Amino acid sequence: MKLLVIVAFLLIVATQSGAAAELSAEKTTSTTPGKVPGAEQQATQESRWRLGFAFGYGLRTNPLVQSDDIPIVVDIDIGWFGDRFFFDNGDLGFTFADNDRVTASLVARVNSDRVFFRRTDTRFVSVDATGMPLSEAIQVEVPDRSFATELGVEILADGSWGQLQMTAHHDISGTHKGYELFVDYGYGWRNQRWYFEPSFGLSYKSEALNDYYWGVREDEANLALPAYVAGDGVNAHARLALSYHVNRHWTFLLVGEFERLNESAAASPIVDDRNVFGYFAGFGFRF
Amino acid sequence: MTPRALFLLLTLVPLTTVADVDVADQSMQLTVKPVLCITDKRTPSCQMSFLIVWQSAQTGYYCLFSNFGEAPIRCWSNELSGHTTDERSVQNDFRYWMQKANSELQLAAVTVEVLRLDSDDRRRKRRRRHVWDIN
Repeated sequence: MKLLVIVAFLLIVATQSGAAAELSAEKTTSTTPGKVPGAEQQATQESRWRLGFAFGYGLRTNPLVQSDDIPIVVDIDIGWFGDRFFFDNGDLGFTFADNDRVTASLVARVNSDRVFFRRTDTRFVSVDATGMPLSEAIQVEVPDRSFATELGVEILADGSWGQLQMTAHHDISGTHKGYELFVDYGYGWRNQRWYFEPSFGLSYKSEALNDYYWGVREDEANLALPAYVAGDGVNAHARLALSYHVNRHWTFLLVGEFERLNESAAASPIVDDRNVFGYFAGFGFRF
Repeated sequence: MTPRALFLLLTLVPLTTVADVDVADQSMQLTVKPVLCITDKRTPSCQMSFLIVWQSAQTGYYCLFSNFGEAPIRCWSNELSGHTTDERSVQNDFRYWMQKANSELQLAAVTVEVLRLDSDDRRRKRRRRHVWDIN
């Protein structure tokens, strides 16, 4: 039901922005024979909205113990980009510098580490953390963690050498009270309808951030889930994306992602797999 | 409607609307390949060779036009069908159309879309949380 409401909203907004785009396109391309619009090379105004969705099949593995992987069947993309302010799938930004070399913005966002904690199970186990049998089975559940609102600076740069994104975000909600530094580099190759883009990067997670999400507090610990204090660490990630433009709106997509959790997070008793894999194959639609 | 039927419908819609044919005369068919050209910052224009094929139910004197000039690209006399290639460097959408000689009526037209995928706004290329999100 919720999905239907979102899709209906998207269609209404897209219909309005689409109508405006049609009018704009009509102005720039409707000509009588004899005129030479191609030579005039009219500049068309880019819509401030970026609306789209993708459907297909994908998965993101969950590094937590007693957890389920995260399926991706339908995904929605909503963005609005003004001269200064922008909204990008939940991120709110204010751009304070934009020139030939870089674009710098203040960005408020929700931390992404929390996403794994919504798909965990409660189980009864009969061995302790060292593998020794317990006299009776005890209930073990992955501790709940909250979303953190973070504020930070984002620097974007691009050129013939590729594109670079650097961010520094600090918690402003008092949730983990830590910070994260992130850098990502990507380079894309296009051959008409085909596009291939590998990218990779690192993210430094402060001790407070890492411990909030990956640590186990004394009051959460038991014989099967020992207390754990996580230190800071650096995650590494890489991504390969391949797309084929069927037409102006539809694109066929193949994407694979990999993230390696930092050593301190990986050593946590609530982490089962240090590597997080993601993939998606399907069709994307841009209004 | 079953999910499978919906999937087929959604995937076939874009494929069947690739060629935007304005049919003024049902007896004339015009096909252009390719009908989509993609540009970006590194390749700001498309250097393409377009294959144009037409077929009519009636023999006649037909001419092929485009937005790039007043003169026809090519004319055919007393023919039912024809084809030609047209080399272009393009940056914007444009149209090919067929006309009968001594007539202003466009019998069939096809729009070639030029899609610019690189935005000048770097913020649109931020790494986001969508696994599928790519240019």
